[in-house]
Amino acid sequence: MSTASFPRPEVTPLESSPLPDRRIETIGSGIKATLVSAGVVPVAGIRIVVRAGSADVPAGQTWLDRLVHDYLREGTEALDSGSFAAALAELGGSLYVSGDEHTTTISTEVPSENAPSALKLLASAARTPRFPASAAERLRDDLERSRAIVGTQPGWLAHAAFRSELYGSHPYGTVLPAQAEIAGLTMEAARDFWTRRAGGSNVRLLVAGLFDADAILEAASESLSGWDGEDHGTVAAPTTQTERIVRYVERPGAEQSTLQIGLRVPAPGHPDYVPLEVLNSLLGGSFYSRITLNIREDKGYTYSPRSAISSRPGDAYWAESADVTTNVTGASIREILNEIERLRSEPPGEDELRGIINYVSGSFVIRQATPGGILNHLEFLDLHGLDTSYSANYVARVREVTPSEVQRLAQEYLDPAKMPIVVVGDQAQVQEQVAEFGPSA
Amino acid sequence: MPNTSPDAGSGFALDVPVRRHRLNNGLRVVLSEDHSAPIVCVAVYYHVGMRLEPPGRTGFAHLFEHLMFQGSPNLGKMELVRHVQQNGGTLNGSTRYDFTNYFEVMPSNAIDLALWMEADRMRGPVITQTELDNQRDVVKNEIRVNVLNRPYGSFPWLEMQSRAFENWHNSHNGYGDMGDLDAATLEDVQAFFDTYYSPANAVLVVVGDLDPDATLALAQRYFEDIPAATPPPPAEIEEPRQEEERRWSYVDPLANRPALAVSYHVPERGTPEFYAMGLLNQLLAEGQDSLLHAELVEKRALTGDVDGGLNFLGHMHNAQTPLLWTTTMMHDAHVKPDDLLAAMDDVIEPVRGFEQSEATIKRLRAKARSGLLMTMAEGGYPRFGVADLLASFELFEGDASHINEIDARFAAVTPEVLLRTAQEYLRPGNRNILALEAGAAE
Repeated sequence: MSTASFPRPEVTPLESSPLPDRRIETIGSGIKATLVSAGVVPVAGIRIVVRAGSADVPAGQTWLDRLVHDYLREGTEALDSGSFAAALAELGGSLYVSGDEHTTTISTEVPSENAPSALKLLASAARTPRFPASAAERLRDDLERSRAIVGTQPGWLAHAAFRSELYGSHPYGTVLPAQAEIAGLTMEAARDFWTRRAGGSNVRLLVAGLFDADAILEAASESLSGWDGEDHGTVAAPTTQTERIVRYVERPGAEQSTLQIGLRVPAPGHPDYVPLEVLNSLLGGSFYSRITLNIREDKGYTYSPRSAISSRPGDAYWAESADVTTNVTGASIREILNEIERLRSEPPGEDELRGIINYVSGSFVIRQATPGGILNHLEFLDLHGLDTSYSANYVARVREVTPSEVQRLAQEYLDPAKMPIVVVGDQAQVQEQVAEFGPSA
Repeated sequence: MPNTSPDAGSGFALDVPVRRHRLNNGLRVVLSEDHSAPIVCVAVYYHVGMRLEPPGRTGFAHLFEHLMFQGSPNLGKMELVRHVQQNGGTLNGSTRYDFTNYFEVMPSNAIDLALWMEADRMRGPVITQTELDNQRDVVKNEIRVNVLNRPYGSFPWLEMQSRAFENWHNSHNGYGDMGDLDAATLEDVQAFFDTYYSPANAVLVVVGDLDPDATLALAQRYFEDIPAATPPPPAEIEEPRQEEERRWSYVDPLANRPALAVSYHVPERGTPEFYAMGLLNQLLAEGQDSLLHAELVEKRALTGDVDGGLNFLGHMHNAQTPLLWTTTMMHDAHVKPDDLLAAMDDVIEPVRGFEQSEATIKRLRAKARSGLLMTMAEGGYPRFGVADLLASFELFEGDASHINEIDARFAAVTPEVLLRTAQEYLRPGNRNILALEAGAAE
């Protein structure tokens, strides 16, 4: 074979990550802007990020934040929704509104030349949303349909049950509303929520891609200054502890069981957080990770097993998720727990860890090679109160991780006795297989 | 570097650098420089997908894709994955109607390794029954998680294509019947490889922080002595003109809200009408400024969203035709399919009756071009969006540099062409209606 006549090429690992420069400006009214020029495709991504998220909605009004998102797509004081959408479409953009526990993000991507005009439109959507009363019934019906449909999806059911186990009555513990909650959401509540929290230092402007920075700052100054607001704070980070239990969510006749297993771990900013990302990639967070090699590539129990660390300010959790064939539900849980125990009982090999370190370093660079990736990273830094030194030092910190450190982290943070296990599936078929893993809730 | 300086027409030009070369064994090589970050995407596209798998072996093209990660002459099971990861990269593969692709995104210092590994993989899978059995189980679990165990799992993709297409190549279930997957053998694997995975039936694309001369030399070094083979004859995938509207319904036992899909056969790829169809999709179904959104969502409150597209497994630029232009809508039980269809008629018939203004067409072009740019700048696998377009134009039109003609093709769509296309392709007789009935309780 001729490929064999050439030896496999060796690659010099990355020692650092050259990232594009950030330009940080204050626009007025305490609004900070971060601009990153990068890329060759002539597009710019623009995000207005507001500190107002699902954790900030009043109790009993779960998904009020989603209703706010829907209203933000319903036009501005000056333009109704159709005219607004057409104006943005003429610039090559669409309006996206999304959010998490602590933020609402209003964004678009447009061809570079249109970035300043698109920013002005985005600013009007954020500052002067129309909140048309005429849309109230329709938007509530749409939200109720979404709630009903989401409630049949195994991944969502697993996520909701797992969150509830991790966080209990803390706002992070509730991700799906009851039907009655949707019925009680009003336009007035959505409008009050938004106008109270949007403005001033709660607002960030993020722009990445190719654009004329001076023109962007001029457009920002014109459209965002004078948008004042107060800091209303947010909920304190949770302090919940978990124990091993098995929580079933019934889906009769399900061909697969949808699993989530995990627990809370230190958050971004903690000295152990970056090494924990390395541990995660080694254990289940990459294609060539231990759990994936075991339950997919060796046993064929599942298609897309994966572990991940999910974070909020001062809070994070690690979880392994997998959709496994029903008759190997117990066997899959056993293998996942065995892989966790193996990492606690012996350090990973030097070569294995070196490979994972290269993967995590390379991924960091690759993730920031597009405007969207850069913007995601900027949002992450802002959310966790991290500065540019986090990005600058990331690869160096990753490269310092040692096998004994990984074992120490697994021992300290990944105690299987504290991990709730969520099983969404046919309880009658799997109960016997799963009984050994803990009392059911 | 793409030229981003203003031109008279659009304000800026998109000019993707394209270097093309054909090796002696027929392998086409396409290179495109982008030095904005120190990464490259290396992608190999084989001109075989779900449409070409043999009868009795549905799902085989996709199963074969999985097997291409299980070993080749100089790489054991999962070794390719390990080398990609351990050198800082990420990878994937996918099976579509007309191609199967394999790609890595890596730091640019790993370009040599990536090319070496793809060349080894092009020499063929080296696998045992154990690996075949393992990946058969993985693929079955993929079908369970994406189709069988999920509400709306086969809607509308599999359910619509099986009804709206006449030609088996287009209509069959490309994910595969479980029985056909069970029947697949190692002999099938070798025969499929021998027929479809020859260098002359493939395109190698490299996009990113690369030196074209040096990269071409590496491609020659690793790929050029892979033995040539006769490429397979082109697939017979034509569809007859549809004359009569057709309508079906089925029950999804896992879904708790009904849904409706409406599909029309689209014009042939590359024709002016095909690009007009792309603009009609923008006019009718893309974004909150679209006509169907205005009528069905905002005015009549029949649904929360109208979703539209020309390709269930991608976008209009990365597949051959036949394809279907499909809109889908989820709705509540008190809304009937006929309510949605009546509203659609009220939107579509005027589009078939009158020319759109130049100003409207200008907005549609802006949306279409912007959608393309977003695809190219997509972040999941950076540089893959460009590689995918280059490979598609090379495979389907014989010239990757057609990527730089997309703007001109949309610009050539006049109000008259748009009207003519609407009249022929949005005919009621060209329409396929599929209602999903909710079988699950609230």
